Amino acid sequence: MGLDLIEIKNLKVHFFLGKGLLSKLFGKGLSIVHAVDGVNLSIQKGRTFGLVGESGCGKSTLGQAIFRLVESIGGEVLFKGQDVLKMSHKGVRNFREKAQIIFQDQFGCLNPRMTAGQIIAEPLRIYRSLKNDDGDLHQKVSELLEAVNLTPEAALKFPSEFSGGEARRIGVARAIALKPDFIVADEPTSGLDISTAATILNLMQDLQERLDLTYLWISHNIDEVKYMSDDIAVMYLGRVLETGKTQDVFKNMAHPYARALFSAVPKVGAGQRENKILLKGEIPSPINLPSGCRFYSRCSYAEKKCRNEEPQMVDLGSGHYAACSLL
Amino acid sequence: MMVDNLLEVNGLTIDYELSGKSFRALDAISFNLERGCVLGVAGESGCGKSTLGLSVIGLLPGKAKIRKGEILFEGRNLVEMKDDQMNREIRGRKISMIFQSPQTALNPVFKIETQMVDVLRNMARYQGENVKNDNVHCRERAIDLLRETGIADPAERISNYPFEFSGGMKQRVMIAMALSSKTSLLIADEPTTSLDVTIGAQIIVLLKELSIKHNTSILYICHDLGILSEIADHIMIMYGGRIFERGKTLDVLGAPRHPYTAALLESLPGRQVRGKHLLSIPGHVPSLDNLPPGCSFHSRCRFAEEICRRKVPPLVEASDRHWSACVLVERRGRQKWG
Repeated sequence: MGLDLIEIKNLKVHFFLGKGLLSKLFGKGLSIVHAVDGVNLSIQKGRTFGLVGESGCGKSTLGQAIFRLVESIGGEVLFKGQDVLKMSHKGVRNFREKAQIIFQDQFGCLNPRMTAGQIIAEPLRIYRSLKNDDGDLHQKVSELLEAVNLTPEAALKFPSEFSGGEARRIGVARAIALKPDFIVADEPTSGLDISTAATILNLMQDLQERLDLTYLWISHNIDEVKYMSDDIAVMYLGRVLETGKTQDVFKNMAHPYARALFSAVPKVGAGQRENKILLKGEIPSPINLPSGCRFYSRCSYAEKKCRNEEPQMVDLGSGHYAACSLL
Repeated sequence: MMVDNLLEVNGLTIDYELSGKSFRALDAISFNLERGCVLGVAGESGCGKSTLGLSVIGLLPGKAKIRKGEILFEGRNLVEMKDDQMNREIRGRKISMIFQSPQTALNPVFKIETQMVDVLRNMARYQGENVKNDNVHCRERAIDLLRETGIADPAERISNYPFEFSGGMKQRVMIAMALSSKTSLLIADEPTTSLDVTIGAQIIVLLKELSIKHNTSILYICHDLGILSEIADHIMIMYGGRIFERGKTLDVLGAPRHPYTAALLESLPGRQVRGKHLLSIPGHVPSLDNLPPGCSFHSRCRFAEEICRRKVPPLVEASDRHWSACVLVERRGRQKWG
C-alpha cells in the first residue's frame, strides 16, 4: 500500500438558495442543495483516482472544494496530513503550489487578453518571483510548452488562435509549471474530438510518469476513467456509492446504480444489446433528497428498508466498498 | 431483392461562401437510405456531417450554396423544390429534425401544450377537411404523443413550461413534436450529446422503438461510434466533406476498409488496457479552407504513397455493399493502423 497523499473525510458542500430579498420579504425558507454530502476517499501517491458520475452528482464541486474554490461546511481534506480546510491564507497559498487543477472549460480558464506565454508564466512570476524580462522565465516557458508538445512560438499567440486540444494543453502546461505533486483534472477531454482526446490522454500519462504526479481524474466518460485510473469512485447525488480498485470494481460491480451506469455506456461492436440495464426516471433534485437510499426511486431492486434507512458502506474486501443495504 | 429507398443523395456538393471566398463543405456525397432503416453519420468536428443533415431538410444557412447533385426523397428532388412547397409538403411533415440542445429548440415563454398544439393544428390544416383541428382534439393528440415518448403524467405535465422539464424530457418533447405528423424520415443531429449517459441510453432505445413501430427512417448524426454501433444499421464515416467509408455497421466497425476508420477505432480508450498508449493520429483535422490536395487524409496517414497526394480516391465497393475511398483498399484488404 502506498502513502495517502490526499485524504477526504466526510466532506460536505451545501449551497444555500433563496437568500435573496424576495424570499426574505415573503418569508420563504432556505433551500439547500446537497452538492457534496459526506464523501470519504483517499488518493495514494503516484496513482490516478477516477471519479465518475452523471451531471449534478457533485464530482466537479468536490474537485473545487479540495482547493477551497468553494467553501465546505464540514469534513476534512488532508493533504500530506494537514487539513486544507483549516489552513490560514498563507497555508492555502503554499498548498496551491503543490496542488493544481485543470479546468473543464479549456477556453474559459484562459484569459483571452493574455498570450499563452504570459498565462504559463503567471504561476512562475507569483511563486518563483521571476520577472517578465528574465531570460530564465522565457527558458522555463519554452520548456513547459515543449513538455505539452507545443512549439515555443505558441508563447506569442492568444487563446483564440488555438484549437480546443491546443488550448487544453496550455491549461496543462500552466498546471505543471510549479512541479506540483497533485493535479485535479476536471473533464480534461470534454468537447474534444476522438483523436485529439487520445493525444491528451497519452500526454497526461507521460507527464504522470515523468513528474511523479498524482491525479484526481473527474469525468463522465466511463471508458476513459476505466482506462486511466487505478482506483475509482462512483458518485450519485453527492455521495460515493461504490469505490475500490478499478479492476476490482469492473470485475465485480456491486451497486445497482454502478451496474446500470456502466451498462448504459454505448460500446463499439456490441451491436443492439438486449441485456442493457435501462434506469427508469431521472436523477432526483439534490434539493429535495429522498429519505433512505438516494437511488431508491430509480432502483429496480429496491425494498421497503431502502426507503427508510440510509445504506452504510459495505466492505467487499481489498478496499472495495459499496453503499447498498441489500448486499 | 427490391430495395425501397426513401432517400437517395447523388453527387451532392455544397460550398460555403464567406467574405468572398468559397469553401467546399460537402464534396460529391452519394448514399441512399432504405425505408425503416437507421443510417449513422460519423466523423470529427468540421467533417460536414451537420451540413449534410441540414441540406436534406432544406435548412442550410444562406451562405451555403448547393453546387451540384440531387436529394431524392420519395423520388422527388428536394434541391429543386421551392421553399414554400418544402414547407407545405415536406419539412415538418415527412421529414423532421431533432437537435443537439433541446433547451434552445423550445420557446421558454410558452407552455409545452401551446407549442405542441401549435404544431398539430398547423399539421392538420394540410391533412384534409375530415381532420379535426380544434384545440381540444389537438391537446388530446399531444398528450398521446407525450405518453408515447415516455413522459410520465402527460396530462399534467403538458401544462408545464420548458424550464420545468429536465434535458432528457425536453428531448422527448422534441421527439414527440417530430412525430406529430406521419414522419417518414427523422434527422437526429447528436440527440444525446448534451444528456447524461443513463438518460441518453433511454433516448436511444426510444428512437429505435419508434423507428420500428412507425417504419421511420433515421439519419443519425453522431460523433460517438459506440452509440452508432448500437442504433445504426448502416454507417457512413466522413472526413473533410467526403465520405471515406460506408457499409453495414458491423462491417465498417468490425472490419474497417479505410485507414482513417481503423485509426479512429484504435484511439478509443474503451478498447485499450491501462498503461498502454492510445493511438493518436498525427496532425490535426484539416479546416475546410485548407484541405490538402489528393486524399485529404494523406498527410496524417501512415500508409500514404505518392498517388495519395495527387489523386482524390473514389468511393469504391471494397466488398459486398461495403465502400471505401482509399486507393490502397484492394491491396490491403481489412485495415489496421497499428
